[in-house]
Amino acid sequence: MLKEEVDSINDELTESNLNLSVVMNSQQHQQQNNLKLKNPLITASGTCGNGKELADFFDINQLGAFTTKGITVKPQTGNKTPRIAETAAGIINSIGLENPGVDSFIKDILPETKNYSLPILANISGYSQKDFITLAEKLEGRKELAGIEINLSCPNIKGGGMIFGTAPEKVYQITKKVREIYSGYIIVKLTPNITDITETALAAENAGADAVAMINTLSAMKIDIDQQKPLLANTFGGLSGPAVRPVAVRMVYQSYKKLNIPILGLGGVRSGSDVIEFMLAGATTVGIGTVNMIDPTAGPRIIGEIKEYMLKHQITNLSSIIGAAH
Amino acid sequence: MFKIIANREVGPGIFQLVLNYDQLPQNPEPGHFFNIKVSQDGSEDPLLRRPFSIFDFDAAEKKIEFIYRVIGKGTKILSNLDNGTELDVLGPLGTPFSLNKSGGNIHLIGGGMGIAPLYYLAKKLKSSRQTLYLGAANKAELEFFEEKFKGLGVECHLAAMEEKLEIKGSALVLWLNYLEKNTPDYIYTCGPEKMLAAVEKEALKNNIGGELSVEKRMGCGIGVCLSCSCESRAQDQKNKRACVEGPVFGLGEVILGA
Repeated sequence: MLKEEVDSINDELTESNLNLSVVMNSQQHQQQNNLKLKNPLITASGTCGNGKELADFFDINQLGAFTTKGITVKPQTGNKTPRIAETAAGIINSIGLENPGVDSFIKDILPETKNYSLPILANISGYSQKDFITLAEKLEGRKELAGIEINLSCPNIKGGGMIFGTAPEKVYQITKKVREIYSGYIIVKLTPNITDITETALAAENAGADAVAMINTLSAMKIDIDQQKPLLANTFGGLSGPAVRPVAVRMVYQSYKKLNIPILGLGGVRSGSDVIEFMLAGATTVGIGTVNMIDPTAGPRIIGEIKEYMLKHQITNLSSIIGAAH
Repeated sequence: MFKIIANREVGPGIFQLVLNYDQLPQNPEPGHFFNIKVSQDGSEDPLLRRPFSIFDFDAAEKKIEFIYRVIGKGTKILSNLDNGTELDVLGPLGTPFSLNKSGGNIHLIGGGMGIAPLYYLAKKLKSSRQTLYLGAANKAELEFFEEKFKGLGVECHLAAMEEKLEIKGSALVLWLNYLEKNTPDYIYTCGPEKMLAAVEKEALKNNIGGELSVEKRMGCGIGVCLSCSCESRAQDQKNKRACVEGPVFGLGEVILGA
């Protein structure tokens, strides 16, 4: 055998030497504050319950990180039903942040996350700046959590959520307040229902957020043409699923060069190719949401598909493709 | 793996779907449902699975059966699938009917496609005295089911909205006609939510216990999305998910009528 042939065999990329790990750097400039993930997949809030529902289908420790269902200061029963409408390649939801409240979250839900070895992120929502402060105070120091995701973009709660998320100065103020209190990793989840998402993304960065997540759902509605009325009890809801993916990819691409902090890209991811697309646009990590509702085992399948892509394109380190489409 | 072995029209726009399976995580009980992906070849439209209550189950033959009416895009696609087609199916899911009232005098009250979960239930309750009160739009929609239930020895009473059978009207009115003469120990009901609410009210008024199976718009079917939340009647209790704590609930357990 020629030496060149031996070398090429030794160099050949196999599944076992692929490196899917990614690091979400922290603005706090200490290595221990960085979020190190074994792969870029992070479950999107509200599409995976609090772990045990998906754990019936696969070992969720295979994922990069897990985001819990959005919590508020007080328990919420959510909106009236119907809360979901289907549309071409998408769904419109108006769940209305049904959740047991932060105290019950700490008492009943957080202890259960001890069964998992992957980083857990708590998604928090509020109706006022004070709500976010209260939530940050209650979650500060919770060792079960790797960080929090501040939801400044929920389209389904009145007087809060998305209202904050459309004004860069509000994003700045709330993020800054939370940063002063909370020492773990902070991700700010942004709304796409805005003229220029880079403005709110920069506001979050300037206020000390470690990363931004984009996008939350697009404000949408569906009309029942037989009843001649809005289908959702709440009239409006948030559109997610493959239909929104091109919008999300565009926003990640637009933000990548303007930001110094990492981006968690999400919106309509269904396959490994979609994850690759988001990473090429500039996402360090990628959220999976609606797909979990259709295929509970989407996570491990997508990881397999990412590996196939890496083998096909001879990529050893997945993180090398972040922003490569620019 | 699930493979279609029959998909035939058994009434106007009403189909019987029979699947052959390799293995199931557990044997289904009456009231369980399965979540079927109807879009084929990776299509993203429709995106969500479609939930169907189990109509019949045969462990020896490895067969599961469903009944559905063609209403929208999803069921239209499903109705066009041929024998031999492989389907992506999740289940059994949800909380089934309890069978602990077996042996007593039982009424089954079904409205429209609400008949779907009651047949396998009737099969499992064979030792009981069972009477079925079934309503639909017309006779043609009912014939297949009448024959099936009669085959189990269940006494059948039929009502239609468009023509006079035993009465011209709903399953509810039909059932109320018999409630005094033949008071049941326990009832099982499934159908439109307004019908369920009315049946529940009459049953509770007469101190009759029972269970109902709700039809809710579902997202995931596995309890993560909270699209199908039902409000608990007891104020101190949390919402109940139709896909996990339901679709079967005890009479009076959740607020109906949406």
